[in-house]
Amino acid sequence: MDFNINIFIESIPYLLRGALVTLRLSIISVGIGVVLGLFIGLARISKRYIFRIPATLYVEVIRGTPLLMQLLIIYYALPSFGINLGAITAAIVGLSINSAAYTGEIFRGGIQSIEKGQMEAARSLGMSYFQAMRYVILPQAFRRILPPLTNEFVSMLKESSLASTLAVTELLRAGREIVAWKANVFSPFLGVTLIYLLMTLPLTRLSIWMEKRLKTSD
Amino acid sequence: MIKVVNLHKKFKNLHVLKGINLEVKKGEVLVIIGPSGGGKSTLLRCINRLEEPTEGEIYIDGIKITDPKIDINKIRQKVGMVFQLFNLFPHLTALENITLAPIKVKKIDPKIAKEKAYDLLRRVGLQDKANSYPSQLSGGQQQRIAIARALAMEPEVMLFDEPTSAIDPEMTKEVLDVIRELAHDGMTMIIATHEMGFAREVAHRIIFLDQGQIVEEGSPKEFFENPKEERTIEFLSKILSV
Repeated sequence: MDFNINIFIESIPYLLRGALVTLRLSIISVGIGVVLGLFIGLARISKRYIFRIPATLYVEVIRGTPLLMQLLIIYYALPSFGINLGAITAAIVGLSINSAAYTGEIFRGGIQSIEKGQMEAARSLGMSYFQAMRYVILPQAFRRILPPLTNEFVSMLKESSLASTLAVTELLRAGREIVAWKANVFSPFLGVTLIYLLMTLPLTRLSIWMEKRLKTSD
Repeated sequence: MIKVVNLHKKFKNLHVLKGINLEVKKGEVLVIIGPSGGGKSTLLRCINRLEEPTEGEIYIDGIKITDPKIDINKIRQKVGMVFQLFNLFPHLTALENITLAPIKVKKIDPKIAKEKAYDLLRRVGLQDKANSYPSQLSGGQQQRIAIARALAMEPEVMLFDEPTSAIDPEMTKEVLDVIRELAHDGMTMIIATHEMGFAREVAHRIIFLDQGQIVEEGSPKEFFENPKEERTIEFLSKILSV
């Protein structure tokens, strides 16, 4: 056990800077992921093959392969096609593409969980499919998917640590750098662990609370 | 007003409607009765194309609505529908349920839509429930809001798909009263129902639908007092002896 309180305290400001990068990566990626995911979710339940098949393929490929591999391809393989992304951009692109597949499935599930009669009632009043989606189905679906969407954000906070392999100094990499400088493993990593928990635990509780509230209001 | 010609509907191997021919005149109240699974709902749902007919034609106001090129959203504005399970929008208040389609589809000024909605709420006796959410209302109240919601689009025809089947018996009267009043005002209506007393009272004409076919058709008096077909007699004896 090489715990050293001084190293621990000294490492906190640097780790917090890394945590900010982690937060920024996660917020931007989930944000883009939610927007793309909405369209992917809609495409997944579309009656038209031209929307449904590519969307299904996308979701299966992204969910069926490791995120680390996806990030490495974007950062190291794309330049050979003339596409050069900086480390942070590559990380955001990779994490967004990944998040979109998962949020797409969350949206699909949320939309499909709304009773069929809702769409029928809306359509029977003369609303188009998209009006019915926008004013009737999605507002209800949004409430139901808020808990899983929060969970998706929690996963992203943790999984964005893979961006450390692209030389992005997010929280985990910040910890590893201190480990290298100070030749002390435990102290910085304890800080890393605590900061991750500080970010994820409140959100996990929030998600559980929202789920409970939804159950009582349904 | 409504004309149905040789309408067929198949769900995979299930032949639900087998050549329905039907005409409803303006201001007429047509009541459809028949056993569950006989095709009542499917017939109503074909008339506003919530179900796509497999074969046959439907005309509303002379417009062939089974034409694939037709703007079905325009047609549906003329055809109000009331569902067995109400299908109110749970995230909106009673008032918002009523004003949503007029504002978003007909682009009516929200203020005017709201005034009209209050009129409709008064008409169904629920002016004090404008700001209630569906979950705070009884089944009978929800169904009356659903009727008001359909009326807000000023439809020319109203379709009722077993409007009281999911409501507690002591609440059905308040719903039937609203429909009765609509009949008085000359609204063209097609009503699928199991309420025989109501059918007899409100219908101008009754059809008996069984196994996807119109078995018998007639005025309420003829139909209930002097049914001709064996299947009708059997059905009526079962349902009226309860």
